[in-house]
Amino acid sequence: MKTSKCNLWIAGGIALVAIIFALPGRLHGQTAASKSSGGNGTSATRWSVQVDQVDRGNLDLASSFQIAIYENLVDELNKTKQFQQVFREGDHRASEVPNLLLLKTTIEKYTPGSETRRAVTTVSGATKLTVRSQLLTREGKVVFERPVTGDVRFFGSNLRATHNLAHNIAKTIKQSSWSGSGQPTAILTGQL
Amino acid sequence: MDRFVVSRSHSEAYHPDRRHALWLSTLLICCSLTAPAQKLAQLRDTSAPFSARATHLLGFANARNNSTGTLSVQDDSLQFQQNGKPGAKVKIALVRDVFLGEESKQVGGLPMTLGKTAAPFGGGRVVSLFAHKKYDTLSLEYVDVDGGIHGAIFQLAKGQGELVKNELIAQGVTISSRQDQSTKESAAEARHENK
Repeated sequence: MKTSKCNLWIAGGIALVAIIFALPGRLHGQTAASKSSGGNGTSATRWSVQVDQVDRGNLDLASSFQIAIYENLVDELNKTKQFQQVFREGDHRASEVPNLLLLKTTIEKYTPGSETRRAVTTVSGATKLTVRSQLLTREGKVVFERPVTGDVRFFGSNLRATHNLAHNIAKTIKQSSWSGSGQPTAILTGQL
Repeated sequence: MDRFVVSRSHSEAYHPDRRHALWLSTLLICCSLTAPAQKLAQLRDTSAPFSARATHLLGFANARNNSTGTLSVQDDSLQFQQNGKPGAKVKIALVRDVFLGEESKQVGGLPMTLGKTAAPFGGGRVVSLFAHKKYDTLSLEYVDVDGGIHGAIFQLAKGQGELVKNELIAQGVTISSRQDQSTKESAAEARHENK
């Protein structure tokens, strides 16, 4: 009787230890499974984006700035890996892609700076750019809209502001609550 | 009497030297007049491929950003070649637009910037006042084989941008209407730089 009680205790202990060791693994497996399913779900409906040329409105912005913003945007969006493909404006292949968004960038404010003034005074001579960045569907529905700024304050040439701006736009799109799952959630406004 | 004879013979002795000097000066003047003409003839020689030293800032084919090399117009292509590396090429027929601007930049790069920062009593700031140089920026818009629009920016020595632009126009590149506007803007930016 005593031995059977002892065996029961031992079996219970082993079972407890087994449960303790097995549970985290099982939980881990569950999270991994849910993660992978979530990942698959996202990749199944991943969107592509076409970057349009920068619209400078009626502002006095040099063509080199327009070109630099456009090129840096293509680079930065590729780096985020959030979109399946990043197309340039005019690319014929974009018309064949089912889930395509258009990224429109409109210059709202431009403060020309001076590299020499920055080097001499440190506090003045910053080049600043403010743009309105919009993601639209093919039908013209706005799924993302935000003003984004980019500037160069201390070191670097004036064109560095365009790199910072493009980096901020890509970062804002990545961090926004726009899921990219195909259903436009809401129009987002705010400032970075 | 003797005195006169001596004087005459003296003048005769120096006469050929004067003549030589005259010939020499005439020759020099002629040479100085023909030298610019030769230079102009060299510039207008269309058979030789046009080339200029340039810094590629971004966007041109698969060339590395902020790399220095030679920008040249060869046959039907615009080529940028870094020293000892294969060149990046874009067909001139695919170039849609060319914009010219100018920019003032600090010279010396990172080492100079560090040196200026380390200089005591704000000496670096004084150096910065004089250590800047004006450059031409040449911006291009071209399309790839899929029709996608690309942009490229080159930085050239002052005056070289105009030459490259003229060469591209001569090769058949059309300039859009916004060209004039952008040139004015670049000039405004340059004025701001000079303030």
